[in-house]
Amino acid sequence: MIIKDLTKKYDGKAVVDSVSFEIPKGNVISLIGPNGAGKSTVMGIISRLIARDAGLVTFDGTDISKWKSKELSKRLAILTQSNHVQMKLTVRELVSFGRFPYSGGRLTEEDTAYVDKAIEYMELQEFEDRFIDELSGGQRQRAYIAMVIAQDTEYVLLDEPTNNLDIYHATNMMKIVRRLCDELGKTVILVLHEINYAAFYSDYICAFVDGKIAKFGTVAEVMTKETLSDIYRVDFEIMEISGKPLSIYY
Amino acid sequence: MNTAAYRSNIRKLIFMSVLVAAAAAAYMLTDVNFGNEKLFHYAMKIRTPKLIVMLITAFAIGGASIVFQSIISNTIVTPCLLGMNSLYTLIHTAVVFFAGSGSILAVNANAAFAVDLILMSITATVIYSYLFKKTNHNVLYVLLIGTVLTSFFSSIQNTLTRVMDPNEYDSLLATLVASFSNVNSEIILFSLIVLAAVIFVLRKDLALLNVLTLGKNQAINLGVDYDSSIRRLLLGVTICIAVATAMVGPISFLGLIIANLSRQLLKTYRHSQLIFGSALFGMIVLVGGQLIVERVFTYAIPVSVFITVGGGLYFLYLLLTNRRI
Repeated sequence: MIIKDLTKKYDGKAVVDSVSFEIPKGNVISLIGPNGAGKSTVMGIISRLIARDAGLVTFDGTDISKWKSKELSKRLAILTQSNHVQMKLTVRELVSFGRFPYSGGRLTEEDTAYVDKAIEYMELQEFEDRFIDELSGGQRQRAYIAMVIAQDTEYVLLDEPTNNLDIYHATNMMKIVRRLCDELGKTVILVLHEINYAAFYSDYICAFVDGKIAKFGTVAEVMTKETLSDIYRVDFEIMEISGKPLSIYY
Repeated sequence: MNTAAYRSNIRKLIFMSVLVAAAAAAYMLTDVNFGNEKLFHYAMKIRTPKLIVMLITAFAIGGASIVFQSIISNTIVTPCLLGMNSLYTLIHTAVVFFAGSGSILAVNANAAFAVDLILMSITATVIYSYLFKKTNHNVLYVLLIGTVLTSFFSSIQNTLTRVMDPNEYDSLLATLVASFSNVNSEIILFSLIVLAAVIFVLRKDLALLNVLTLGKNQAINLGVDYDSSIRRLLLGVTICIAVATAMVGPISFLGLIIANLSRQLLKTYRHSQLIFGSALFGMIVLVGGQLIVERVFTYAIPVSVFITVGGGLYFLYLLLTNRRI
């Protein structure tokens, strides 16, 4: 996936300003940056949820606007933060929606197998007949991830997946992200606020400031004292723990 | 799939259909003189169109309410609460006002209805899709603006009737104050054709409803062309409400009651079941209500009063018990 000269303006002000980068396949890529840096907007544009003003997002050699929405949904899945379901929907039914791009509303045996696998993978068997609105935040998040797994896409985009989760659930979430990449071979792109999660669990980091890319590179390249201080305008120290650079800011 | 729940819902729907049939039979066949053929035919001639109108209305309002709630992803909003039927009344009045009572639009019920439908479709789609976009589907704003719109439309309509020529008003009144005791049966055939056309044209979008209720982002993620689907469904809702209002006049709370009863009873996301449940509840309420009004209260209280009082209380109950509005 190649992103080129991406621009998005709100009321004449560019929130994303000619952003270009290439997403390395089969890796976990974290988008970080201060509030309003444009990282979520970039994510929205890549996933066709937000319309862009200029630029190209090339996916498998074709611009995403030229892809059929249904075909794209077999290749690329997005999970945003706000998921309020008003309906009485069980976990299994939610996960089954992941098969919608393949078979519409009617599940084939193959679809059911995918759904079973996804539920098992996220260890949701004991909840599968519970209604979504009766689950805790962490369980609900897992159910949505299971749906994304059932969707069986090469690319998975997660917009602030650790938002509103406590340390336990957030850390579990990040471990799941790692497994999606390592065990299922997916390319995972996520927007994160916690720099250390990004440092510990991703392969590449793309840091945004004021709608532009401040730095894009491997974790070791981005996680330096100078770069982070420039991006966030506070003092940073970098320490190495279990072979990963972690930051302390104050 | 959750087949046990699915089957039990089918059973519930069948049971409700039986209730509807029973109510319809009771409505048609009680208090008639079977001995006198002429009187019997007379009773049938009066009752048949009323029954058909009630069934159509229940289906139109029940279906439209469920679809509308799913579009805006909120279960306490209905098209009527947002002023859709006031808009229809206004359009109908305006057409007679500007065309004059002598014109074909005032004399021919079907022609008038066709013009109303077209105008209604255009204005409602423009107003409500703009409203949803502008408020970002924020239900409290939508409700507030909807309430303002309702009084706004009614005030304009009131003003028009006041400055109207009394003769024209007189001819307008006959169609304006349509109610369950005075149904507009001339447009039955036309309405049926319109509703059938709506269902046929929207069949693909209706199949998408289950996915649409997951929210905009999820729907797009799953490959649905969200905006255009919503626009088409909203148009369908508008037409259904126009049909219902044209036949029996505005009834504010019916949609709210039957849509929520259906959701409470069936506890499912499947819209095919929800829509049928809602329509069947509507038929039970209307036919059963009219039966009681005509045979027990001998027309002393119109059925719409029951619906408004009951619906108002039910609305308050929903507001107070629903944690997440």
